[in-house]
Amino acid sequence: MIQNVLRSIGGVANFGVISICLFFLVFGGALVWACLLRKSHLKHMSRLPLEDGTVQSKGADCHE
Amino acid sequence: MKVETFKYDNRIVRAFSIATIVWGIVGMCAGLLAAVQLFWPDANLNLAYTTFGRLRPLHTNAVIFAFVGNGMFAGIYYSLQRLCKARMLSDKLSWINFWGWNGIIVAAALTLPLGLTTSKEYAELEWPIDVAIALVWVAFTVNLLGTIIKRRERHMYVAIWFYIATAVTVAVLHIVNSLAIPAGLFKSYSIYAGVQDALVQWWYGHNAVAFFLTTPYLGLMYYYLPKAAGRPVFSYRLSIIHFWALIFLYIWAGPHHLLFTALPDWAQSLGMVFSIMLVAPSWGGMLNGLLTLRGAWDKVREDPMLKFMVVAVTAYGMATLEGPMLSIKNVNALSHYTDWTIAHVHTGALGWNGFLTFSMLYWLFPRLYNTRLWSNKLANYHFWIGLLGMMFYVVPMYWSGITQGLMWKEFTEEGFLQYPNFLETVLQLVPMYALRAVGGLLYISGVFLMAYNLFKTAKSGQFVPDVEAQAAPFRGQEEKASSGLHHWHRWLESKAVLFTILSVVAILIGGLVEIVPLYLIKENVPTISSVRPYTPLEVLGRDIYIREGCVGCHSQMIRPFRSETERYGEYSKAGEYLYDHPFLWGSKRTGPDLHRQGGKYPDAWHYNHMEDPRTTSPGSVMPRYPWLLTQELDTSSLPSRIRALRKVGVPYPDGFEDAEAMQDLEAQAAQVVANLKEGLIEAQPDREIIALIAYLQRLGTDIKGAVTNAPAATAQAQLNLGGNQP
Repeated sequence: MIQNVLRSIGGVANFGVISICLFFLVFGGALVWACLLRKSHLKHMSRLPLEDGTVQSKGADCHE
Repeated sequence: MKVETFKYDNRIVRAFSIATIVWGIVGMCAGLLAAVQLFWPDANLNLAYTTFGRLRPLHTNAVIFAFVGNGMFAGIYYSLQRLCKARMLSDKLSWINFWGWNGIIVAAALTLPLGLTTSKEYAELEWPIDVAIALVWVAFTVNLLGTIIKRRERHMYVAIWFYIATAVTVAVLHIVNSLAIPAGLFKSYSIYAGVQDALVQWWYGHNAVAFFLTTPYLGLMYYYLPKAAGRPVFSYRLSIIHFWALIFLYIWAGPHHLLFTALPDWAQSLGMVFSIMLVAPSWGGMLNGLLTLRGAWDKVREDPMLKFMVVAVTAYGMATLEGPMLSIKNVNALSHYTDWTIAHVHTGALGWNGFLTFSMLYWLFPRLYNTRLWSNKLANYHFWIGLLGMMFYVVPMYWSGITQGLMWKEFTEEGFLQYPNFLETVLQLVPMYALRAVGGLLYISGVFLMAYNLFKTAKSGQFVPDVEAQAAPFRGQEEKASSGLHHWHRWLESKAVLFTILSVVAILIGGLVEIVPLYLIKENVPTISSVRPYTPLEVLGRDIYIREGCVGCHSQMIRPFRSETERYGEYSKAGEYLYDHPFLWGSKRTGPDLHRQGGKYPDAWHYNHMEDPRTTSPGSVMPRYPWLLTQELDTSSLPSRIRALRKVGVPYPDGFEDAEAMQDLEAQAAQVVANLKEGLIEAQPDREIIALIAYLQRLGTDIKGAVTNAPAATAQAQLNLGGNQP
């Protein structure tokens, strides 16, 4: 059924090639990049929203 | 290490937050009034200014640019300062941003009901307002980048990446799509025509969704969700992949709005492929958001802010799965032009943007006023009434969209259309339209509850205009030695300007690949020798069609399906739109397609139909346009309109506008009046209805008996499209 659906789409043969090339370039590149980052750096980065340097978090604290 | 003390500016955040609530109510009420008119046309109050065609762009502009726009600025101005550990670059620029942006919204609220519109969806505002938008956006971008450059935090958190991508991409999109030649203070003609205009518009339209409604809100999600949950984002690695993959892929997907149209096949295919690939980064982002709450779901039960956030992120996931599915040609063949699209965009608008904005406002107000939320109970009521409203909105619209699509394509056993009268399909949907309005009413009721709750919260606390903070200066921070790719990453994310340039490159690749070939390769827009420019009377008639927002309900693009050629006539060819500045293909058929309307009915039918559609089409939900019968046709601007059209490429002879154009107009008007007389209607030749009839009777008539000068490749592509008839 899936094959029939795909066959009825015009120029479908090229889609795979285009998709795979771009997948490797963009996702692959970003994946490699992200995977090679150090854990300590990632930990620091992900905690940035939680440390805003405010001198006294006032009434807001009681909400959290 | 030396530590600096500084203050975060809360005033600008409060101003944008209040504007968000006010414009949210205005925009949603405009939407509700428009929705009611779809089952009760007289709800237009018998006024041109509040009729559906003019109200719809007011609603879309108000909710996108006023509600979400102000919400986005509120969220960014609060989070950016704290993520950068710095006050905004310039308070003055912040306030130019606030007053400029809200002044633009007031200008939009005045001009759109007056019918001053370009008709290009989500880019309806006329050129002076477009110029103002560009200037205000520059002020915002300078303020944003300046704050990032002078920051004290060495690293740029991922939310800031999303903010940068938003600022630069919206600027590029807005400028390219708005290029037009003025024909007066509030009238202009797009420099692009037909297919090219359609591609540029939907490259813009799609990416307005991507870079105005999505990327800034993803930035907000990455900031406010960890804040509310009290824990860092689930995977920072995933957020990096999410960002680069999303901004690179999104920009290519625009042509999925033009599947099966006269757009070249290769551009359609490209749009479809990239749309499907978009599922991956979108779902990566959604899962990253939801998984941030792992181990904190008990908080979701207690905190209404988190409830709104969870539904927002889930709606983002649903909408970003559905969007790519709708981009598959076979699905799009059924869904396009129907209410399915309306359901899809409202899953995103009500769920993702609406709920995330509410969540953020519930979080911000207690902090801005140094107090607690006045009533958690009321916020919970808001959550449930909003969720119920959303369901009452989208479910009837899905039902309506699929019903509509199937009825349009239904054939009898003998091979005739089962529902040849378009009106039959409309009448079937009227109960769904009524239910949708109930959903809208519930949703707005929730917003009123929020406004009251936040007002009481503000009253119970004390506004904190400046919040004191401390941090070491950027240059004082020591950077640990690093090597390889990791080193490059840290280096790149510390260079705000370079990062911005790379983001621009990523978004420009897709845009250029699609748009440039359409200009450079002649074969892409085949010409048809018999297609001629509009006559002066037709130009004015077309401008009335644009002014009244007819394109909001009527397409002018017959797709190459048997179900459409049987109903409307010959399918539309790219070469027929050579002189269409702007294109008027439309994106929704509440009424039938009009591309082959010319010569279908006598002039008198159109006259009666515009006066009261119910006299010619009993049960029709189209508004009445009695003012067209009485308002005098403004011909004083004809010369400037002809001149502007010549500048954008319509081959009117030099000097045509001096006298010949007026003579031509009067002769054609006299002919229309004579035709009306045959239908026992006495009409004056200088009324607007005469010009509109002339335009409607011209539609799609150029190619009757014409030979298409289409190159072999394009002809083959058109044959291919024909072969896909469902």
